Amino acid sequence: MAESLEKLHNRILSDAKLKAAGIVEHAESKSRQVLDEAQAQAQRDANDILSRASLEAESIRRSILSSRIRANRLRILEEKNKIVQNVLKSVEQSLSDIAGSDQFESTLKRFVAEAVEAVGTDNAIVKIGFRNAERKSLHSLEQSLPKGTKFLADETAIDELGGVIASDAGGKMIFNNSFRARLERLDNQLLTIISSTIFGE
Amino acid sequence: METEAQAKQIVEEAKSRAQEILAHASEQAQEVRQTSTTEAERRRVQMLRETRDKAEADARSSDVETDSLLENYKKLFENRKDAAVKKAVELVLGA
Repeated sequence: MAESLEKLHNRILSDAKLKAAGIVEHAESKSRQVLDEAQAQAQRDANDILSRASLEAESIRRSILSSRIRANRLRILEEKNKIVQNVLKSVEQSLSDIAGSDQFESTLKRFVAEAVEAVGTDNAIVKIGFRNAERKSLHSLEQSLPKGTKFLADETAIDELGGVIASDAGGKMIFNNSFRARLERLDNQLLTIISSTIFGE
Repeated sequence: METEAQAKQIVEEAKSRAQEILAHASEQAQEVRQTSTTEAERRRVQMLRETRDKAEADARSSDVETDSLLENYKKLFENRKDAAVKKAVELVLGA
């Protein structure tokens, strides 16, 4: 009887120990799982932080560089424009002084011929105005004009720089061959020739 | 009765130990995540600082390059202005 009781006693304790070991083992297993999941989640969080940081860094880089590069491009454009405008001013000065040069008479005759041809009438009115133009140059031109052409010499330079304006008798057809008008008509070609000569572009 | 109480105590102690294991695991998990986040934040700050420094260096380099280009334009202008004016005048005159 006593032996049987001893066996039961041992059996109860053995079962309890087995159950206890199971409980601890389960807890340890659960613990490993929690740690594994935490590490995986930590890695995902870190990747997320670094991924967002990478985008943030690119945005900062663009913000710093693009504004500076834009400002520098603007400086370059402004300088080029300043140079081209400076050249154009000198061109205007040369043109307004042409009456004193040996090119004057041939240029005047060519401008008049172009203007008269553009108007396309036998009774054209030709108005001429250059700064410091000598009367004799203008009169020599007058003699070379086609018959029927009316000649008007202006004391002042036409469109400030000088030039020729031809029209028909009714004033309906007008061709402005002043330096200013030619500068405007040749605008693109002038910019190209000035840029290519100065900047080699 | 004494044996049952003893057995119950063994199981209760195991449960208590299990609670401790899980609590410790939870603390460790929290620590792992905290450490990882702190390290990632440190690397983020470093990355942003390095990017900013590099971008500012590149921007300064762009300024220097532009200054040099503008200086070159001024020299080109001085050397080639007369030729450009001559060509432009010839174009306008149609000579």
